[in-house]
This record gives sequence, C-alpha cells and structure tokens, in this order.
Amino acid sequence: MNFWETITGSDLTRDWKAFEARAEALPGDYRAAWGQIIAHLFPYGDFTGRNLMPILDGALGLLEETASDGQSIHEVLGDDIPGFCAALAGGQGARTYRDRWREQLNRNVARKLGRLGG
Amino acid sequence: MDNLTEMLKGTLEGCVLEIIGSEETYGYAITRRLNELGFADVVEGTVYTILLRLEKNGLVQVTKRPSEQGPPRKFYALNDAGRKELATFWAKWEYITSRIDKLKEGGR
Amino acid sequence: MGIHDIIEGKKQWRAHMARFKALPSDYQIVYKEIQRYFFKVGPVGLADGSLLSGIVDFFEEGVAAGKGVLELIGNDVAAFCDDLIKDSRTYSDVYQESISGKPGTAEQ
Repeated sequence: MNFWETITGSDLTRDWKAFEARAEALPGDYRAAWGQIIAHLFPYGDFTGRNLMPILDGALGLLEETASDGQSIHEVLGDDIPGFCAALAGGQGARTYRDRWREQLNRNVARKLGRLGG
Repeated sequence: MDNLTEMLKGTLEGCVLEIIGSEETYGYAITRRLNELGFADVVEGTVYTILLRLEKNGLVQVTKRPSEQGPPRKFYALNDAGRKELATFWAKWEYITSRIDKLKEGGR
Repeated sequence: MGIHDIIEGKKQWRAHMARFKALPSDYQIVYKEIQRYFFKVGPVGLADGSLLSGIVDFFEEGVAAGKGVLELIGNDVAAFCDDLIKDSRTYSDVYQESISGKPGTAEQ
C-alpha cells in the first residue's frame, strides 16, 4: 500500500484539523499567507483536496520554519503567490521556480555562514 | 585537474562501485581514495549521495559498525546485483572510450 | 499523515530535533536551508523521515571527523540536495500524474 492509498477520508479530516492547529500558531502575516496558499492550491485538488495534502504539509512546514527564523513572508514566497503555488503543484513555471529555489538555497547558506564569520 | 565535475558525473557511480568491489569500505575512505586518485573536487557529500542511491537500488550490502570516534559507520560491500552493475559499467566504459579514441584518431 | 506526524508517530521527531540542536552552528544553518528547500520541492522521501534523518546521520559523521559543513558537502549545497533526490519522485510529480492519468508527464 502506498502513501496515497493510506490516506482515507477520516484521516483527511484529521489532517485538516492538524493543519488548522499548526496554522493558528503562526504569526499574522504568515497565517494570511497560508490562507492564500490554500486558496490558490485548491483549484488544483480534487474536491476533498486529498492529492494536495503532502504538498500543503510541505508548504506549512516551510512557513513554520521561516516564521521561527524571523524571515519576512515576502522573502519566503516572493511577489507572485499564485505562481509559487503553481510551482508547488508542479504546474506551469515549476522548472523556473525550482531554479530560483536552488539559487535561494545557496545564497542563504553563503549569507548565513558569512555572518557566522566562517 | 580542475573542473572535472560535469564530465565525471556519469562515471563516478561506477568508480564507487569499483572501490567497494575490491573491499568492504565506508564513505570517508571512498572519498579519500578518489581524492588520492586525482579527483580532488570530490567531497564526501557527493559520495554520500551515490552510496544512498546504491543502497536504495539494492546494489550494496550495508553493515553498521561502531567507530573509534563518533557515531557508528556504515560499511558497504557489493552484492550480486552490485557486481552485475559493475560489470555493466565497465562494459559501457569500454564501449564509450573505444568509440571516442577512434574519433580522436580520425577513424570511422 | 505529514512529515511531522509520521516521524512523531514513531516518536522520532523529538530525538531528531535534539540531534539537530547538538550540531555546530554551521551545520545547523545548512541543515535548515536544506529542509526548507525540500519542503518546497517535496521529494516523497520526506514523508517517512528517512531523508532528513539520513542527513543528520551523515552530518554527525562530518562533525566527528572535525570538518566544516561545506568541506563535507561542497559549496554547491543545491547540487548536493538534487543529487540526494535524483531518483526520487516529488509530490508534485505524483499530483501531476494523478490528473493526467499517466506517469512521466509532469514538468519538473
């Protein structure tokens, strides 16, 4: 049985509740961004949103991580939230976004290690 | 020689298989072996990603052993599938180098 | 069914975080950025926790050997990440397949 098949309807409700609880703990601007991400990703899902669960989980993890770091939400998601969401779902522009994330990763590492004085 | 990374990419996995094939060994030792061979740019991280793939593809047998300092080490040995893969690698290598040599010598 | 749930289910998430916090700061920085990248890219290996805990295993070995993090994985951290998930599908691949009804049509 694969990961997808193990997600049953009841698990899904539980997942949504868990998502809500986690989102509650986010700072205001992050919580707003989470709302936008859901709104933009939802057209990509079937009516239960089942096929989006792991993608949403990753996005929420990202918000939690960056919020605890004190990074601005704009720095994390950029100007184009719909574009970002399309990329998360593997839609149009995903390749460009992947390149951008790659550069962002190396740039952040260089900057933060530099600050460390290493 | 510098900047071999791109050209090495497809062959490094074969090199790692060959090193493991000659004796059971671990990541750091494999990296050092490659560095000594003249591939100075190869870092442990590169070897780690290769070992992970070999493991996932069922080509190696992995044994965890305590090390003198720090966490336990994973030792790698080839299994039958790994030996087959290594033979395939050398066959492909043979083929490619013979073609390229021919090209260089201006033959057809 | 998320990353946290699953690792937590195995009561490993807390142990994982404790190990993360025991790493030197340069390792912590790089680990965090890697995790962040994977949250966006969404490799399926994230779900069972093996990908992230494997990285911590590997980092601990590097620390024990007295290496800096970039010495261990090289300057191109993104390349290291992509090598790590080279053979693995992503959630967006899975999603794209689910809507197209056939594998392999997802744009990366």
